[in-house]
Amino acid sequence: MRTLRRIVQITSLLVFFIFFLLATYPFHTRIPVDFFLRIDPLIQWTAILSSRSFYAIGFLSLLLIFLTIIFGRFFCGWICPLGTCIDFFDNTLRHKPKNGKYSPGTLGVYFKFGVLLFLFVTALFSLQLSGYVDPISIMTRTTTTVLYPIFVFLIEGVFRILEWIPFLASPIQKFETFLQSFLLPISPSVFRGSFLIGILFLGILLLGTLQKRFWCRHVCPLGALLGLFSKFRLYHRSVSEKCTACGICYQNCRMEAIGKDFKSTQYTECINCMDCEAVCPVGAIQFGFSKKGEPAKVDLTRRKVLSAGASGLFAVALFKTSLIHPVQKAKAVRPPGALVEDQFLDRCIRCGECIRICSTSGQGLQYAGLETGWSGLATPILLPPLGYCEYNCNLCGQVCPTGAIRSLSLEEKHGVKMGTAHFDKTRCIPWYYGENCMVCEEHCPVPEKAIKFREERIVTIDGKEAVVMLPYVVEELCVGCGICVVRCPVEGEKGIFLTNAGERRFFAKG
Amino acid sequence: MLEANQNPGCQLIHPMQRREFLKYTAMLTGGLAVLRTPFGWAIEKDFPILVIAKEGSPGELVRKAVAKLGGMSRFVKPGDIVIVKPNMSWDRVPEQAATTHPEIVREVVSMCFEAGAKQVKVFDYTLNEPRRCYKRTGIQSAAESAGATVPFISERKFKKVPFPEGELIREWEIYEDVLHADKIINLPIAKHHSISAVSLGMKNLMGLIGGNRGQFHRQFPKKIVDLSTRIRPTLVILDAYRMLVRNGPSGGSLSDVILKKTVIAGTDPVAVDSYGASLFGLYPDQVPFLVEAKTRGLGENNLKKISTVIVS
Repeated sequence: MRTLRRIVQITSLLVFFIFFLLATYPFHTRIPVDFFLRIDPLIQWTAILSSRSFYAIGFLSLLLIFLTIIFGRFFCGWICPLGTCIDFFDNTLRHKPKNGKYSPGTLGVYFKFGVLLFLFVTALFSLQLSGYVDPISIMTRTTTTVLYPIFVFLIEGVFRILEWIPFLASPIQKFETFLQSFLLPISPSVFRGSFLIGILFLGILLLGTLQKRFWCRHVCPLGALLGLFSKFRLYHRSVSEKCTACGICYQNCRMEAIGKDFKSTQYTECINCMDCEAVCPVGAIQFGFSKKGEPAKVDLTRRKVLSAGASGLFAVALFKTSLIHPVQKAKAVRPPGALVEDQFLDRCIRCGECIRICSTSGQGLQYAGLETGWSGLATPILLPPLGYCEYNCNLCGQVCPTGAIRSLSLEEKHGVKMGTAHFDKTRCIPWYYGENCMVCEEHCPVPEKAIKFREERIVTIDGKEAVVMLPYVVEELCVGCGICVVRCPVEGEKGIFLTNAGERRFFAKG
Repeated sequence: MLEANQNPGCQLIHPMQRREFLKYTAMLTGGLAVLRTPFGWAIEKDFPILVIAKEGSPGELVRKAVAKLGGMSRFVKPGDIVIVKPNMSWDRVPEQAATTHPEIVREVVSMCFEAGAKQVKVFDYTLNEPRRCYKRTGIQSAAESAGATVPFISERKFKKVPFPEGELIREWEIYEDVLHADKIINLPIAKHHSISAVSLGMKNLMGLIGGNRGQFHRQFPKKIVDLSTRIRPTLVILDAYRMLVRNGPSGGSLSDVILKKTVIAGTDPVAVDSYGASLFGLYPDQVPFLVEAKTRGLGENNLKKISTVIVS
């Protein structure tokens, strides 16, 4: 069974990465690339609670709950991509203690329930924080901004070295072109915040040096939520009469789910990893649907519940009273089809699926810093000149797992204004230098052109008279895609910039 | 290393390489020996500079035009590596006339292979997302169906090279493949353009260079002529099957497109562009970059002085 579990884990991780790669242009709508996020009850329920609106895909998470009631926290042990990474890290970097020094069990496992309660309290007051700590969201974010770019960097590096060998140069280039069709990007992206996201991910893995699966035992709120339902599980560990009370299972349990009597099990904690079954020298441990024995005690006290709830309230107040700078906020141009700001922040789980798919088409979306305050941290914003919104692309709405970005048809999307471009007359070549330029107009994707010119006789900076075509933005036509900013030939601060002025946002259905 | 960079450049400016030169010298001597005029020379003189093909499908038009110029075998020799440079810069469909008609690309690629080309590459440094452009313009599939390779541009393959005849551009990044190609066939579409009035053949060469291309638009006429002194296509075929007459170069609205059913082929880049400008009702004298090109001796912009054949 343990071997089977490992196979399933690796398969599941691979599926996760394959879905990640499939979140790309050209996109096949039939494939649910956000599958792991759709079945994740933590982010779906907090998004529903926070935005106070139901939506169809949110209900898919009930399937996972249903399975958890039958099989317990199998998701953590068999499916979770972050869990698999943690296992892999734990097993490769940790020395296996010969005489069993795992599972001191001194920290207790209550903390994650506190995190869970905290998240639901904040969600109740319309503050969406679950995305920052949900394992699937972490994994999606990290894969997009850290793991994939590093992978691409290394592969490219190997190719560049191999190219030095003369007869290999041509086949390498052909192979690279081939890989570009499904694995490598046409033009590699880098992401805002990748450094921090990478450090946090590494931090989660390094926690494993304290204890195996430290994150899953003590912190993970999804694990806690599944644990609550896992309490009623039908499929569970049971110990037969053959048990010699040697305690090997207790020492090997990566979740400290085994009671000190070695027979009882904490059903909220057991992730069905089947290690105990495998290590038992007398074969006394089995997993099945038999009658349940006495569960081990969960040390969740009233005081801890109260403190988690109180800190949730404190967090709500802290976030809601943080400063949002109006100039900064105007620079936060949301993706096309984004819900109105409040609902958007409630629904958005900061997973970065939209940013991932945008990086394959336009490369305009990036993680927000503090433009929209602390409660908008790591939400997607359009950030030219790093990239722009491709006129004929509507993919971000198609991969959003919570409907924070509405899925629009291409016709609808062409009519959605995300913001407006403005000329900076102290930087723009015609306005400042008195020379014709027009590159922005050349790239304007709107058929009628949102950038127009008026011919004018002007005095240039060095006092000469010149006739120049001066560009201006027609606000009603401008869709705010930002390609003009990207293509502006001025180095440094561009001659044109983008704000969310006049943006059209949507209300959540239902 | 510097020499390696310069040599392929010379190849573009002077189509005759040392080996070829030796070959022709041998042929000439041999020819004189048997009292015969060198074959190649006699034919060159009989062909027009411009051929205008009218009425027909895009494929028929380009075949007719090239045939009248002496056939593709006049330009492409067996074993040549040929770059065919259409305009596929925009995420637009052929009907929107922002990009070269795919059928014309297909036909030209086929003709190159018929003339014995070893390899035909079709690519462009696109302005929208590359895959979208390659796909939606229909050029990728059309060119591949004729046997061409249609690679995506990779940024690292731009090499900074000197422009010996450049006035403002003394050096710039050019795509490596261009520097190593035997022949370049320029395949622009005739479009209105906000900066240069019209976007034709010489403008289309910008898809082969890297760097901050936006900077090209300052003092555009001089710079675009500088570029044309560095990259000299063997043959220019202008697609005026559909013409984008307003809101170029990216267009987007079908009401800005007219159906002209014309293809222009020629060996003089200035002549081709001058004729192209006339299709928009512009005298070449009104178009600054054509005046500049004429002054710099790149070609002829006076339509009356250009030997032209019209086929329909």
